[in-house]
Amino acid sequence: MMPDERARVVAGVDAGTECVKAVIVGAGGRVEGRAVAPTRGYFQACVYEVLSAALDDAQRTESDLAGIGATGFAMGCVPGATLTATDAACHAAGAYHLIGQRMTLVNIGGRDPHLIAVALDGRRADARNVRRCAAGVGSFLMFTARHLDVLPTRLQELASVADKPAAVSSYCSVFSSTAILERLREGASREEIALGAMHSIAERIVELGGFEDPVYACGGVVEYFPGVVRALQTLLEREVRTVPDPIFTGALGAALKAMELAT
Amino acid sequence: MTGPALSSTATLRETMGSYYRSLGDADTAPVAWCSSVGPAELLRALGYRVFFPENHAAMLGAARTANRVMPIAHAQGYSQDICSYLTSDIGAYLAGETPLKAYGLTSVPRADVLVFNTNQCRDVRDWFEWYGRQWDVPVIGVRSPRSIDTVTDDDVEGVARQIEALVPTLEAVSGARLDGARLAQVVAISRECSHLWGACLGTAAARPAPFTFFDGTIQMGPAVVLRGMEEACAYYRSLLAELEERVRTRVAAVRGESLRLYWDGMPLWGRLRALATNFAEFGTAVVASTYCNSWIFPDLDADDPIRSMARASLNLFIARSEEPKEQYIERMVRQFDVDGIVFHDCRTCPNNSNTRYAMPQRLSKRLGIPSLVLDGDVNDLRCYSDEQGRTNIEGFVEQLADTRASRRGA
Repeated sequence: MMPDERARVVAGVDAGTECVKAVIVGAGGRVEGRAVAPTRGYFQACVYEVLSAALDDAQRTESDLAGIGATGFAMGCVPGATLTATDAACHAAGAYHLIGQRMTLVNIGGRDPHLIAVALDGRRADARNVRRCAAGVGSFLMFTARHLDVLPTRLQELASVADKPAAVSSYCSVFSSTAILERLREGASREEIALGAMHSIAERIVELGGFEDPVYACGGVVEYFPGVVRALQTLLEREVRTVPDPIFTGALGAALKAMELAT
Repeated sequence: MTGPALSSTATLRETMGSYYRSLGDADTAPVAWCSSVGPAELLRALGYRVFFPENHAAMLGAARTANRVMPIAHAQGYSQDICSYLTSDIGAYLAGETPLKAYGLTSVPRADVLVFNTNQCRDVRDWFEWYGRQWDVPVIGVRSPRSIDTVTDDDVEGVARQIEALVPTLEAVSGARLDGARLAQVVAISRECSHLWGACLGTAAARPAPFTFFDGTIQMGPAVVLRGMEEACAYYRSLLAELEERVRTRVAAVRGESLRLYWDGMPLWGRLRALATNFAEFGTAVVASTYCNSWIFPDLDADDPIRSMARASLNLFIARSEEPKEQYIERMVRQFDVDGIVFHDCRTCPNNSNTRYAMPQRLSKRLGIPSLVLDGDVNDLRCYSDEQGRTNIEGFVEQLADTRASRRGA
């Protein structure tokens, strides 16, 4: 392989409130490497960590990078970024690259779920966030796991065997956390609470309205808690498909935009 | 513990059921939607069947259907922060749901005209305009002054002219001419109903109180939806007789009544029973309220129907400024001899929440009695925490008992 051919890779970094994600993208938008790490207060350290891990995964080095696209809550903290772009624009670009058609995209990240109308050319035509009070769904799930005394990754397993969801308010993430304790005291099972928490998130998204088929979902919550997508499907009474590797959709979009800039 | 149920409630169910079923016969007469304190007498005088969507929304709240259907209205762009009556009702319509199905209706009755009065809020107008667009029918109403210090003759004249201006459209839609004698008759019946309902509420000044605010929110149904109809008067005559008998024989709505409270603000429809039980567990009777008293219209006068309707709508508590509101509550506190005031801060109904400009603090200081602010909502139960509510009530009752003991000690 010629050295200049190898250089045609870019990185995309999605520095979110719960996780930092990075992908290494080569010719034709093919993902060569990926990595994810929990967000800690030292954003730059997190970015270095995932970027190094993604480069390792792709068997590349930093010198192979033709550009770095950054998005997400802490996109301003990505060292060496050649481009920054909004969450909505990057998730739309990433999902469109993989699906190849117009769609309603529900991005459920750790902060504020949003609905993105992806146009025929892959651009974001419209985007809407959930209310301020209903945001913070990642932290809400962490609190839920803490109240149930399980690791967050077990929530999905618990929810998948629940007969019915416990009634967990969807108005405000803090109210919802308190409601979980109340339901537990009333005797709700851990399984019902876990499923109730997923329904609570889905309800906040349903209130955004404006869903047009096909509906796709992406984001970290979708990656780790697919029960939220199932709850959304139930409440919307329509099919909701998942974008492949949903946690990396934003990072992929950022990488594609960086590649566009580099060429 | 709560006391025995009112035996009149069986008649209440029949009276309300008969009204709801009559809405299903709407092909025999035009239907007008009316905001709760809109010009219902005028509509009745013109032969309309009158539907009150706020009553319908309250039914959705009480049946706890509201939270299931509100997201449908939110998805249409109607915010979570606006009137949850509006979002419950529009959401239910879009979902094809209504508690009126129990009375043979498949949907809310389709309006031929919608008539609002903004003396309570702007939301009623926005609500009616949604249906107006849906059905392509006229939406008319009265744009009333608000936050009034003293109701002046000019205020009354302005609203009276607006009520008169409704007549041509209402006549055109109904095909009937307004008969002044008929209007006077309807206003007289409405006045009688108001008087009887006020007398029923007044019986709770007795110790022990024969019924509570929570009973009142159910018993007020005819005063809301059958204003101007003889059926409402007939019902309240029988209810009044039962309540007076209870006073005479000292039948208590709350067994072992030891504390008495005043309630300001909207009910939490989905938590009426739970709250009634919470207070009763502590031997506390909520004996009077701004809400139930809002359907007493002493200004109505058959000799001057339209001007008296205008005056009644302007004198309404919700339309007044802070000082007359405080004077009103002060009168109620004295009349019902209460130990404290509960203010409901209704999240989606700022106009009916008197907690946000320091009224509880001012009144507590002025009257020397404690007050409690309960955060909640009329229909959106996501805004109310059972746990927090109960803890607050428990602490408040404890405080009231201490306050009373120290007053006695002094």
